[in-house]
Amino acid sequence: MNDIWKSYSSAPFFDELITENGRPRRVASRLIKHLQGLSKEELASQRAAAELVIKEMGISFTVYSESGNIDRAWPFDIIPRIIRASDWKKVSAGLRQRGKALNCFINDIYNQQKCLADGVIPAEIVLDSGSYKPQCEGVTPRFGAWAHICGSDLVRDHSGKFLVLEDNLRVPSGVSYMLENREITKRVLPDLFENYSIFPVDDYPSRLYSTLASISPREKKRPCIVVLTPGIYNSAYFEHAFLAQGMGAELVEGSDLFVGEDEYVYMRTVDGPQKVDVVYRRIDDGFLDPETFRKDSALGVPGIIRSWKAGKVAIANAPGSGVADDKAVYAYVPAMIRYYLKKEPLLNSVKTYLCMYAKDRDYVLDHIDQLVVKPVNESGGYGIMVGPHSSKEKHREFAALIENSPRNYIAQPTLSLSTAPTLCDGTVAPRHLDLRPFILQGKESWVTPGGLTRVALRKGSLVVNSSQGGGSKDTWIVEGKK
Amino acid sequence: MNMLSSVASRLYWMARYLERAEGTARLCGAYSHLILDIPQGSVLEWDTLIKVIDGQQAFSNRYQNNTERNIMKFMIADMDNIGSVRSSISAARENVRTTRDVLPQQLWELINEFYLYVNEAAEKSVGRRHRFEFLEQVVARSQQINGLLESAVTRDHAYRFLMMGRLMERADMTSRTVDAATAAIVDHNSEEVPDVILVWTSILNAVPANSAYRREVGPLVDGNEVVDFLFNNQFFPRSMLFCMLGIEQVTKYLKHREAVAKRLGIVVKMVAMFDAEKNSLADLHLFIDRFQEKLIGLDHAIVDTWFAPQRK
Repeated sequence: MNDIWKSYSSAPFFDELITENGRPRRVASRLIKHLQGLSKEELASQRAAAELVIKEMGISFTVYSESGNIDRAWPFDIIPRIIRASDWKKVSAGLRQRGKALNCFINDIYNQQKCLADGVIPAEIVLDSGSYKPQCEGVTPRFGAWAHICGSDLVRDHSGKFLVLEDNLRVPSGVSYMLENREITKRVLPDLFENYSIFPVDDYPSRLYSTLASISPREKKRPCIVVLTPGIYNSAYFEHAFLAQGMGAELVEGSDLFVGEDEYVYMRTVDGPQKVDVVYRRIDDGFLDPETFRKDSALGVPGIIRSWKAGKVAIANAPGSGVADDKAVYAYVPAMIRYYLKKEPLLNSVKTYLCMYAKDRDYVLDHIDQLVVKPVNESGGYGIMVGPHSSKEKHREFAALIENSPRNYIAQPTLSLSTAPTLCDGTVAPRHLDLRPFILQGKESWVTPGGLTRVALRKGSLVVNSSQGGGSKDTWIVEGKK
Repeated sequence: MNMLSSVASRLYWMARYLERAEGTARLCGAYSHLILDIPQGSVLEWDTLIKVIDGQQAFSNRYQNNTERNIMKFMIADMDNIGSVRSSISAARENVRTTRDVLPQQLWELINEFYLYVNEAAEKSVGRRHRFEFLEQVVARSQQINGLLESAVTRDHAYRFLMMGRLMERADMTSRTVDAATAAIVDHNSEEVPDVILVWTSILNAVPANSAYRREVGPLVDGNEVVDFLFNNQFFPRSMLFCMLGIEQVTKYLKHREAVAKRLGIVVKMVAMFDAEKNSLADLHLFIDRFQEKLIGLDHAIVDTWFAPQRK
């Protein structure tokens, strides 16, 4: 065995590829064998090759900073993460179940609100949340589907069990990087694919197209679908363009669209106005329609909510879907599954303390140095405090935040996230990671085989967000024996 | 297939910038060769190049002296000169970045590699030692991209606006290249008149039209014949007339083209009527100025017709 691997140990954490005895997991054995055959220099040159591919393919994301926006190359680790197909099958079923329950919940909440009347979820958690949009009341989109694209973040605990950490139902991003990661691995490490039967991921754009086409308000062979982007300066612009291209859809900005006197949505084309059937929007609710939400939004389309409510255009994800990705609502997803689907949840969630309740709040304030505190309404890993990794001063700061606005904070136990071998400074070391699969729901539902694996590149760090120093890995779902 | 007005505009500009980079590279290369070909005590001025691209103001804002180095830097590597090779490739890339969804996937990679190359090499290629290699690379990479567009873009609106941009810029660059000859011959700095045949030959090289000219017109290079060929040849793809007819051809498939068609008709007639033999070099220069004004008018008509956001 190569020196680089000799000292590899991820204890006390669960490692995706290596057992606690230091041997490769069965499903990873050929990969590890191949990698162990590579010298330090060879690994470094593979990595350099991957970086070159990334640069040439122009895979980038934008980081906002005070000195202007920087377009950074996508940080990628060449060692793939492997999950057994038999394990994934269960996870995938759990995700579909979860997605279905979340959509039932959103549709219920904007219509009869039965779950509130039946006491399944406390009304104050839902209705007082900033993500509840009264403007959306009374609407039932086709198939009752609101969150057509959902990105749920999964982690594995010390025993390797998958847990759902959060659901992203607003404008989840990352799927294009999942596809590009596979592309890079194929180009840089083609040998690895020889002995493995890996589930392909590249049909995502066509799955997304079918999902969006199915919600069109008009039956057409090729409905007019547009991807609405806030523009080139958005951190996920690369992905917006990537998906539009993959679907053969138009990539539009707000100024390319308008709502006509007949309340249909049109795009401005060289032939004149053209009717739009489905808007896959990558703009937050607040900016979507200055007539309905933020008046100062220059990104949106005035009147698009009127058009949507009149059933003249489909919007994915439907406005108001964010009500279900509030982190306080998250605590009630298992209850939703039991209530709407009459089934036991297939996937576990993380114990969540709601600071709005005195009992939970007292517990959180007493154990703040052991918990992860999160704002209910943020994404991208912003505003999170990891108790064991933070100073006393930070603890006090967050305690004050919680006491000032308890509704805005939740806390969860600090998880022992799983690790995987990652190339760091010329050697291989365990780094923590998570997984974001994507769940599509229209007429039918579908889950990506695998998803985007994000990895915290700093030793011991649990923050995997690319905007904060995280990287990513190709994720393989492979057929294999136990 | 639909085409957003905003996307049509970006495609048009992408093609213009790409063509501009190639044309500028060809012009710089040919002019550098011409100066090398003329013996010591050269009568040619480097700043002819600046005049040809109407860059006098921008140049004098940035530089004190009309040295070869400064002028080459301005033409090739200067990001403050919007017409430099580097600026053009940057702008072309930015336009591809925002139209990737309607272009062949590989195009983004090609333009991105091109951009990375130019950023890396432009500054180093100002001096004579690396200049020619750089300029050849710029031409070759532009041609590679045009080749991909020709073989991979469906002949729909996307292609039409790309063609429109490419042909507009090409006609403009051809007229400017001819203007370089008038400037070189008229504005020389000594009593001695430069070798006129050498100048016209280098112009044919810059376009490039040398072999086409020899096959069509003959082996002897004559100024009037060169001008007629580059203005009026119906079949040579870089002649001004060919470019204008090409634009006429692609606009046939577009709605609301009346205003553009009218202007095109005027420009075609104007070019076709020009007879080099009956005009002095000074008249030729004035004619080229008028032609460029007409192109600007045509550009405005294109913008107003298809790119400006329509009212409801």
